[in-house]
Amino acid sequence: MADKPTIYIVCSDRHRNGKTLLARVLVDYLMLEKRDPFVIDAGFPEGPLRAAFPGRTALVDFSQVQGQMKLFDTIMGSPGRDYVIDLPVPQTENFFATYRQLDFHMEATRAGFQIVVFFIVDKDYSSLRFSEDVQRQVAPALFIPVRNIYIGSALVPRSDTLSIDIPELDREVMNLVEARHFSLRNFILGDEGNMAAQHSRKLKIFLLEMMTALRDIEPAMTLARLRA
Amino acid sequence: MKPTLILVGADKGGVGKTTVSRALLDFFARKNILTRAFDTENPRGTLKRFYPDLAEIIDLGNVAHQMKVLDTMDTANVPVTIVDLKAGNMSYALDIFERIGVLEAARAGAFNLGLFHVIGPSIASLDEIAEIAHYLQGVHYVVARNFINETNFFEWDQATQRKYFAQIPKAQEIAIPKLNEMAYEQVDLAGVTFKNFIENRSPDGSPGNYSFVLRGYVRKWSSEIDEQFAHVKLIHDLLTGGRLPQPQLVAQN
Repeated sequence: MADKPTIYIVCSDRHRNGKTLLARVLVDYLMLEKRDPFVIDAGFPEGPLRAAFPGRTALVDFSQVQGQMKLFDTIMGSPGRDYVIDLPVPQTENFFATYRQLDFHMEATRAGFQIVVFFIVDKDYSSLRFSEDVQRQVAPALFIPVRNIYIGSALVPRSDTLSIDIPELDREVMNLVEARHFSLRNFILGDEGNMAAQHSRKLKIFLLEMMTALRDIEPAMTLARLRA
Repeated sequence: MKPTLILVGADKGGVGKTTVSRALLDFFARKNILTRAFDTENPRGTLKRFYPDLAEIIDLGNVAHQMKVLDTMDTANVPVTIVDLKAGNMSYALDIFERIGVLEAARAGAFNLGLFHVIGPSIASLDEIAEIAHYLQGVHYVVARNFINETNFFEWDQATQRKYFAQIPKAQEIAIPKLNEMAYEQVDLAGVTFKNFIENRSPDGSPGNYSFVLRGYVRKWSSEIDEQFAHVKLIHDLLTGGRLPQPQLVAQN
C-alpha cells in the first residue's frame, strides 16, 4: 500500500449496495498491510463501522457543523496516518459540497495526504453520471469506480483505469460477517471460529478476490501519477 | 491619491456594524492598502479588541479627537481611515461633521467620504435612511444589508427601494452574507481578526489551533464579502485609481 498517508473515501449515491462492506474490507486490508488506519463512520447514529472497529473509529453526524469539525479537524489535526471515511448516502452531496467549500483537497494535499475515492456505481445510468460528477469535482489522486456484482452496475470497466468488483457473497455468509463481533482480519489470520466449512470456503474466495483487487491500487496510483 | 474616510454606522444596535468594519479592515489588508481605524465605542471598543495595535478609541464629541481623525488625513500617509461609529451615533456623527464642515470639504473634493450604513432586517432600520438622507449629498452612501444575525430579511422590493432611495440617487447596496454561528463565535472567543483566524494565527501572530472547518467557513464568508466590497464604487476607484469601469454587482437576496 502507498507510503504516503491516504484518505480513502467510500461512497455511493444509492443505499445498500455494499459501501460499508467495502470500507470494512479496506480497513482490514490496511491493517494486514501494517498500516494504522483511523475510521470515520458518518453513518450516524447507527455507526456500522464503529461496531466493527471500536477504538479506531469516530462516529460523525455530518449534517451538523460539530460533525464536520469532528471529521475534517480530526484528519487535519493528526496527519501522517491513513483515514477511511464511510459516507452514508444522505450525506454524500453535503460532504462533497463542504469538501469543496473548505478547499479540503488543497489543504489535505498540503498536509501530505493523497485522496482515493471509491464510488459504488449502482445499476442505473444516473448513478454512473453521479460518480462521474464526483470524480470531476473532487479530482482525487485515484478515483475507483466499484461494481457490486450481486446488485448489478451501470459501470462498464475500462482496460485503462482501475475499477473494483465486489464479488457475490452468499446471504448466509453475509449474515455471519455482519454479526457484531466477527472480524474479517482475524478470519484471514486463521481464526475461523465455528464457521461451517462451506461458508468458510466462500468467504475465503470472496476475501481473496477483494484483497487482490485492493492490491492493484498502488500500481494504479503510480500509473496515475505518471500520466498526470 | 486623495485620502478616503469611511464611516461605518447604524442607528440601531446589534446589526453587525463592527463586523462590517472588521471585514473592511481585513479587505484592505488583503489588498495591501494601509488603513487607520477609530472606534467611537467609548471607553471600551469592540473594534479595538480585535485590532489593538491599529484601532484607537475616540469620542467624536471631543474636539481633540475630531482633530486626531480629520486633521491628519493628509499627513498620516495612510490612504484609508475607517471610523466605526457606535450604535445610535450615526445621525449624531453626521450632524457634527456637517457643522464643522467635514461634509462640505468632502463635497468640494478635499477627500473621499463614504458611509457604510449597516441595516438589519426591520423597517426601523429602513427609517434610518430617511433620517440621514439630507446629509448625504456628495457622500458615497452604501447600504449594507446584514444577513449575519438573521436568516430572513424583509422584502427589498422595488417599491421599498424607490421609497427609501429616492432622495439618495447614488446609493449603493451590498449584502453582508451570513457567517456560520459557530464560526462567528469562535472568532469572537479567539479575539483575533477574521484574517488571522483564516490564517490560523493567534493574536500575537504565533500559530493558532483553530478548527480547519470553521476557518474554511470564515474563509468562504470573507471571500464573499470581499466580492461585495470590490463592487462598491468608492472602493473600486480606490483599488483602480478610478481608471477602470466598475463591474456590476449581481443582486443578492
